[in-house]
Amino acid sequence: MSAKIKSPWILHYNCGSCNGCDVEILACLGPKYDLERFGIINKGNPKQADIFVVTGPVTKRTRARLLRLYMQIPEPKVVVAVGTCACTGGPFRNMYNVENGVDRFIPVDVYIPGCTARPEAILKGIKKAIEIWKIKTKESIEVPVVIQKEFEETLSKMVLHGQTVDRRKIIHDLVNKYIKNNLEVTKCD
Amino acid sequence: MAWMLETIAILSPIIGGFIYGFERVVKARMQNRQGPPLLQPFYDFIKLVEKRAIQVHSFHSMMGLAFFFATWFTLAAFLCGPNILVGLFLHILALAFLIIGGFSVLSPYSVMGSLREIIHLMCVEPILILVAVGLFLVTGSWSVRDILSYSGLPILYLPLVFIAFVLIIPAILKKSPFDISEAHQEIIGGPEIEYSGFFYEAIYTAKWIEYVFVFAIVFLFTGVHWWLGLALSLLVFLFINALDNSTCRANFHQMIKFAWFVLLPLAALNIFVLALWRYVI
Repeated sequence: MSAKIKSPWILHYNCGSCNGCDVEILACLGPKYDLERFGIINKGNPKQADIFVVTGPVTKRTRARLLRLYMQIPEPKVVVAVGTCACTGGPFRNMYNVENGVDRFIPVDVYIPGCTARPEAILKGIKKAIEIWKIKTKESIEVPVVIQKEFEETLSKMVLHGQTVDRRKIIHDLVNKYIKNNLEVTKCD
Repeated sequence: MAWMLETIAILSPIIGGFIYGFERVVKARMQNRQGPPLLQPFYDFIKLVEKRAIQVHSFHSMMGLAFFFATWFTLAAFLCGPNILVGLFLHILALAFLIIGGFSVLSPYSVMGSLREIIHLMCVEPILILVAVGLFLVTGSWSVRDILSYSGLPILYLPLVFIAFVLIIPAILKKSPFDISEAHQEIIGGPEIEYSGFFYEAIYTAKWIEYVFVFAIVFLFTGVHWWLGLALSLLVFLFINALDNSTCRANFHQMIKFAWFVLLPLAALNIFVLALWRYVI
């Protein structure tokens, strides 16, 4: 268990951020703050990542991809929202093209406020994320917030009918259905 | 000392892990950073066991495992076998597992990475074979055990072959400037992109074994003088890391041109002159 927390690999995704927070995350990985001394690598690959670092208010163009990336990260995983935009929508709150923060879509474990979030704050936030990640296991499955209601309904229905329940499959199907029905962006949007 | 080569072959994942951990520390120090601890690769190893493995399909996962076992077997055949050429040909086979695995999924990055991996093979393998031929011309034997008991210094007869080999090492270990097949942030790992959890672990560990393979070849260039061999390996190690830190990624045209029109003629010239000197004059 103690070896596990020494090697968190992060996936960094920008959902419509102004690049301020992204530059600060890169500064964390650089020589001055050096996140690699905790074993952290910036893996560009969701299938090998543990910590999902998201910046930016979720714009219409990025929301489907955000959900897909979240689904592709294998458990145990932690989500960190970096910057005021990712936490609440920030200065873009309630604009026509913005979804007011990451936690409207996926469960967020750590919020790092600030515009932009300072590298020290990001460092502390990721340290906190590692503590949360330590408790989670392969079996701790979390449901994306957008399909929470449907998931519970489907689950209770299946339990009533006495069917065998594969939570991951249900979540996967529901997310695909949700993206198809609600998040398809046409050209004129 | 009698079972030294066998021991190295069996323990190669652990030795390679230490080499990889040391490399990450050295690289960090070169960039004026503190860097991860020496045991970092093993921490990664333990973590990857605890991750859930998402399989694309079973054949793809099997190719990942096959790549690991084939690489391990290649090293064993290279070190303990009667002929180093067998080891080099098995090395092609081991990489073929990775390439077939990469082609078997629909991910465009994976397919692109596999295509580039084939280009790597095309550049690397002729030079590896010329290294074997050169060592045979000098020492008169194809086996590692005999080459390591040769009393002279093969590197003095094979300076150009050695230079060609050192400059192609980045292509074997996928380091900048020749890291085109796994090009992080460009095609995100290439053929290894779709592996996760336990199956990525196999690929990750196979890469450590490649380190042992490469530095074993460097070690052969000093014959029986094993102290010189260690010093030479360390020197090459530092040079490769400095090169990795200070260069940007070449594209595949540049890599092929460099390998085929610069390094290959250089190595061939050395062997040609040596053969003339040995057998004709």
